[in-house]
Amino acid sequence: MIKLSPKLSQKFSYALLYIATLLAIVPVITIIFIIVKNGISAISLEFLTSMPKNGMREGGILPAILGTFSIVLCAITIILPVGVCAAIYLNEYAKDNFLTKIIKLSIVNLAGIPSVVYGLFGLGIFVMFFKLGVSIIAGALTLSIMELPVVITTARGALNSVPYSFREASWSLGVSRWQTIRHVVLPNALPGILTGTILTVARISGETAPILFTAAAFYVPHLPHSIFDQVMAMPYHLYIISTQIPNMPKNIIYGTALVLLMVVLTMSCIAMIARIYFKKRRKW
Amino acid sequence: MRKIIDSAIETIIFICGMLSIVFVVLIFGFLFKEGFSFFRNFGILKFVTGHFWYAASDPASFGILPLILGSTLVTIGACTIAVPIGVMSALFISEIAPKGIRDVLKSLIELMAAIPSVVIGLIGVITLVPFVKNIFNLPTGLTAFSGSIMLAFMAIPTIITISEDAIRSVPWKYREGALALGATKWQTVRRVVLKAAMPGIIAATMLGIGRVIGETMAVMMITGNAAHIPHSIFDPVRTMTATIAAEMGEAVRGGMHYRSLFAIAFVLFAITFIVNFMADLFLGKNKNI
Amino acid sequence: MVNKIEVRDLNCYYNKRCVLESLTINVIQNEILSIIGPANSGKTTFLRTLNRMNDLDATYCRKGEIYLDGEHIFNMNMENLRKRISMLFAMPIPLPMTIYENIVYAPKRLGLITRKSDQDAIVEQALRDASLWDEVKDRLNTSAMKISGGQQQRLCIARILAVNPEVILFDEPCSGLDPISTAKVEESMIELKEKYTIVLVTNNVKQASRVGDKTAFFLMGKLVEIDETDKLFVSPKEKQTENYITGRFG
Repeated sequence: MIKLSPKLSQKFSYALLYIATLLAIVPVITIIFIIVKNGISAISLEFLTSMPKNGMREGGILPAILGTFSIVLCAITIILPVGVCAAIYLNEYAKDNFLTKIIKLSIVNLAGIPSVVYGLFGLGIFVMFFKLGVSIIAGALTLSIMELPVVITTARGALNSVPYSFREASWSLGVSRWQTIRHVVLPNALPGILTGTILTVARISGETAPILFTAAAFYVPHLPHSIFDQVMAMPYHLYIISTQIPNMPKNIIYGTALVLLMVVLTMSCIAMIARIYFKKRRKW
Repeated sequence: MRKIIDSAIETIIFICGMLSIVFVVLIFGFLFKEGFSFFRNFGILKFVTGHFWYAASDPASFGILPLILGSTLVTIGACTIAVPIGVMSALFISEIAPKGIRDVLKSLIELMAAIPSVVIGLIGVITLVPFVKNIFNLPTGLTAFSGSIMLAFMAIPTIITISEDAIRSVPWKYREGALALGATKWQTVRRVVLKAAMPGIIAATMLGIGRVIGETMAVMMITGNAAHIPHSIFDPVRTMTATIAAEMGEAVRGGMHYRSLFAIAFVLFAITFIVNFMADLFLGKNKNI
Repeated sequence: MVNKIEVRDLNCYYNKRCVLESLTINVIQNEILSIIGPANSGKTTFLRTLNRMNDLDATYCRKGEIYLDGEHIFNMNMENLRKRISMLFAMPIPLPMTIYENIVYAPKRLGLITRKSDQDAIVEQALRDASLWDEVKDRLNTSAMKISGGQQQRLCIARILAVNPEVILFDEPCSGLDPISTAKVEESMIELKEKYTIVLVTNNVKQASRVGDKTAFFLMGKLVEIDETDKLFVSPKEKQTENYITGRFG
């Protein structure tokens, strides 16, 4: 083998890294481009605001949009208080002991459980054991447990970014720990928690496997009335129309994918912009 | 009064802190209960080593070896693609790219992680599957190979993000030491930075593996779902996750088939537990340099 | 001459390593006690033990007794103790809110403000006592992060005064300040001893001689000598004290 000079080997390696990065980035852009290019023609006000017709081969996707919206709304109202409280416990109260180690291990473990296993668990516990049926609330609870580790981790990061000295300054005046958290730590961690929440919304909107057996329905001829209703959901709807229905018009598939992708990507972009904005405005 | 409210709130916070443990125990207990009753009826050895998965036929056969091999094949394939690309991209982003480009790349990777798996699956079915079919002249493009490629895209953001963290946490003095001795930048990166960041990169790989094993929708749409023992990466395969997702709807509640799916979930739970636990150990190691 | 704080045989440890050894010392009401000594002599640990700021540190433990007006402080409710013994840190730590909110923050949380109309009066009084009022009275609603370091430190003093404690602990309060700001802080300290008891930890020997009624010299976790400031600086009894104050080490 020819031994390359260090300079040449550096150039060669840099080129390799450059190509690898391109390989990682180009598919994202391609995927987004394909969906946008093919889906844009299907998008119209009617597509977004009407019911599916003719075995879903025509009409719009309104029930799926509303279904996803209600599941996400429901899940976020459950998970946000619980996740933030858990993060407060870990960051502000927990001592460095065995219990805390177990909690952290549990969080790592929860984060790794496959989404379909959560779906199965939700089916067994919420749908059957608590008799909630296949419903918005059962799906939202399942998603909440699944997203809990992510919410805890981001909220903890936000709490942790508030300087410790602020807490000490507050304690030194005789203010209690909870009052310090409530009036000094939380207000300053809020931007971080908010960005994390938007990202969680994005992720929940795209999840399919956990709601497969807990919330989603193949077809529901009416819009959701209560949290105990079965609903159509965008990701599940997309799965159905792209694999289960023969002769499905391509533009409806792409249109649905585009709507879903836009919801998720818009949320992610908002979160990214918010993060930059808050960073610039940070007071300390 | 104020003190009572304070301590009530602190109690709630404590309970929320404990919830993660409660959920893990609950999930474990639940899967174990359903899975265990299945193992008792069917036999755990027959379950893990059985060559045939005929869950719906009579008499049924619940051998998950083809499913385990399917998951393994797809995972190995995906990691072979994703790990080198991911680690090299992480190196590029953290060591070479100027700041402006780095921010753009990181944002794109974040977007990539956000794309729902159904959308990835759809793109795979429409673009990649026919392509693989034609180029390798196969009867079908729905193969483990196609699945590996699509899953690699899903693992890449995880691998990049975690590796990049690890690479960037290598202290500056390490690099300065090497550079001061006259090493080129690349020699420094390869011999010093990469070595110091290795535990983090291994953790990133582990987490990427965890993500691929657990992935359901895209895999179900692309890999062809044939539950037989694969002979090559160009065979259609069926993974454990896809089996659960595809068959839960038709399984009779409480029946043998139903419980066999919980048993698969239990196996998945055990695998991901080990993988994530190890990743966490490596991440812990990385913090101590 | 009333003993405000009595410390009996106090020992403090970090990770089992002793940082303060059998310390017995009294702080007299309405006096300034300055504590001098080189780095790592246990001065700050002593201060943080007095209002139990170290209690959250898992590596820290202590033995011994401290009485505040005859009451054992380790048996007191932590919040009540800190309301009576407040602390000013080395670096100014304004909370990220307006000047006005910084002052009313603690009184509000502690339920000291019963009527909203009292608020303005409390803010003005606290700022006047910390001799900051004239400089900030027109911009009470600007962020406390935007005023200068010296002003921030005096704001922190004002914030403490608004809670009306009995003892104020100063932990090297001028280490980050320029000479003019330092002079201002020292000035307010001397005014404050009319109403409060003060313990001042300082690296600056001259500062101790300027403001302290009594001065204590700590070395390696032990109290070497305590005396009237004038006596300690003119005729120290211990050789180590003399070496330190004449600048031979430290």
